[in-house]
Amino acid sequence: MMSGRKLWWSVLVVVTVFYAIPMVAMTRFAFQRVPVIKLSWSNVFDKWTVAPIGETFADPNFRSSALLSIGLSVATAVLTVLLLVPTMALAHLRSPRVRRWIEVSAVLPFVVPAIALVVGFAGAFRGTAPLFIRNPYGMVPLLVITALPFTHRTIENGLSSIDLRTLVDASRSLGAGWNRTIWTVVAPNIRGSIATATFLAITVVLGEFTIASLLLKNTLPLYLAYAQGQNPQGAFAVGLVLTAISASLIGITNGIGRRSRR
Amino acid sequence: MNRSLAFLSVTKSFGKTLALDHFSVEVAEGELVSLLGPSGCGKSTALRVAAGFENPDSGDVMVGESSVLGSPANERGMGLVFQNYSLFPHLNVRENLEFGLRVRRSSAAVRRARVTELLELVRLSGLDDRLPHQLSGGQQQRVALARALAVEPRVLLLDEPLSALDATVRVEVRDEIRRIQRGSGIATLFVTHDQDEALAISDRVCVMRSGRVEQVGTPRAVYRYPATPFVARFVGRVNDLAVIVRGVGIVALRGSTSGFSVPQSGPSSGDARLLLRPEDVRVVGLSDDALARGRVEAVHFGGATTSVDVLLTPSNQTVRSTDATRNVRCEVGEEVGVVFDTERALLTREP
Repeated sequence: MMSGRKLWWSVLVVVTVFYAIPMVAMTRFAFQRVPVIKLSWSNVFDKWTVAPIGETFADPNFRSSALLSIGLSVATAVLTVLLLVPTMALAHLRSPRVRRWIEVSAVLPFVVPAIALVVGFAGAFRGTAPLFIRNPYGMVPLLVITALPFTHRTIENGLSSIDLRTLVDASRSLGAGWNRTIWTVVAPNIRGSIATATFLAITVVLGEFTIASLLLKNTLPLYLAYAQGQNPQGAFAVGLVLTAISASLIGITNGIGRRSRR
Repeated sequence: MNRSLAFLSVTKSFGKTLALDHFSVEVAEGELVSLLGPSGCGKSTALRVAAGFENPDSGDVMVGESSVLGSPANERGMGLVFQNYSLFPHLNVRENLEFGLRVRRSSAAVRRARVTELLELVRLSGLDDRLPHQLSGGQQQRVALARALAVEPRVLLLDEPLSALDATVRVEVRDEIRRIQRGSGIATLFVTHDQDEALAISDRVCVMRSGRVEQVGTPRAVYRYPATPFVARFVGRVNDLAVIVRGVGIVALRGSTSGFSVPQSGPSSGDARLLLRPEDVRVVGLSDDALARGRVEAVHFGGATTSVDVLLTPSNQTVRSTDATRNVRCEVGEEVGVVFDTERALLTREP
């Protein structure tokens, strides 16, 4: 029988190896100027280069899709916070029933496949508001919904961890209206949760493929899928950079969370 | 005196529970009135209705001569202090105090002057830059009081502001609240379940039960002349004795034959309860004209006052006296006599 500590370590090692091997393989494939077939232990340190990133950045298609994805990320994160924080705070204060209802609908994106969402969306708006479908930013509401299972949970945890009612009552008795109360009293006290929700929304948008693909919008994931045929090394390189960005976002979020709990 | 805050027959129910039942009370200018009652008696609901956090089903709440029911909480101009520490955790003391002034768009100079003045008032000068979690519970409640006063409210509402504090700090902050309230002359409603607190701090006490007013009066009146058995039992300590009514104004302890006179109100026959304050029970020597006799069961030495529990024979009930005559030896096990001053006693059928 293994001791708890030993078991813990062996699980950690197995998991690390499981994730590390493909990452290392990807890194070598992307950044070493060595034909794939010749990659082996003997040339681990040979011919490293960051050129594939430069080549990708030079491609105007990459630049437009990257800009679009960044724009969508920011728009999605902002809309998520603007919608969720006041709605959920009010539900907390006023109606436990609405709160449960929001909770259930927030996990629906796990259940309803993205393809169903898009087909319904396109069907509903093609006839009535075609601009909504033509403009790439028309995707933002769909992306907000897709990120909802993660973002809702985070904000919910934040609101449950503070004495919301007392803070709101205190603020209102001092003369502040709802808007001021939500944004200058509630929001700063759940800033850790808001930061996490923002970053989760960004990560979801940066990885979203189905919706963009079905609506024919040229986002970063679509570009990467396309570029794998043209410039496979460049596509992998950009993929790795994106992974590194996501990982550091999670790190930053943890840091903020820890600081706001002090 | 002008009334500052008035509840006029306010009724409020939550589902099937009636939290306030035709509740009426007035607070005059400069007066401190406490709402005292057990938990669930509706005292906090009354405060939340006044503050604008709950809407009553019927009745009216007036500030001065006008109803405030039409205005939302943020336009009522009432200062609130809560039981839970309610300072904004992300703002320091100065920013907390400035919050209400910023909402009212006061200039920076006005805000600075007001904060200095308030910190002096609650004796916390120099703590401007502390965050709430760097303050003790007592300090936090004093800042909360200062924050409520910052906007010069017409009415101050205090919702069990001392409950979260420990005993010594509680008395300190209590006296501080009273001093500041007297100085500022703001009509104040003080909600508490602690009768010592209510008696010590109030101009008048309003004892509540199941959403209704049982009695309103000065602390002395409520304690000395309770209007109902509930008030007698809830405010202060009371001896609750089983008696048999022999005739109008004559009762005997259950299990005993010797009768004694009591006030004439109350039931005129059968079983009843006699409610008697401990200071109205005197312990005397056996030879004196004792009404009853018994054995000393316990002596509680409390410094200024000492109370004695006497197990009465043959009625087998314990009675507490805080008026042990000094020339009577009161040691546990001693046989003593007991005399009742029944002038202010209450006779009731209510169990």
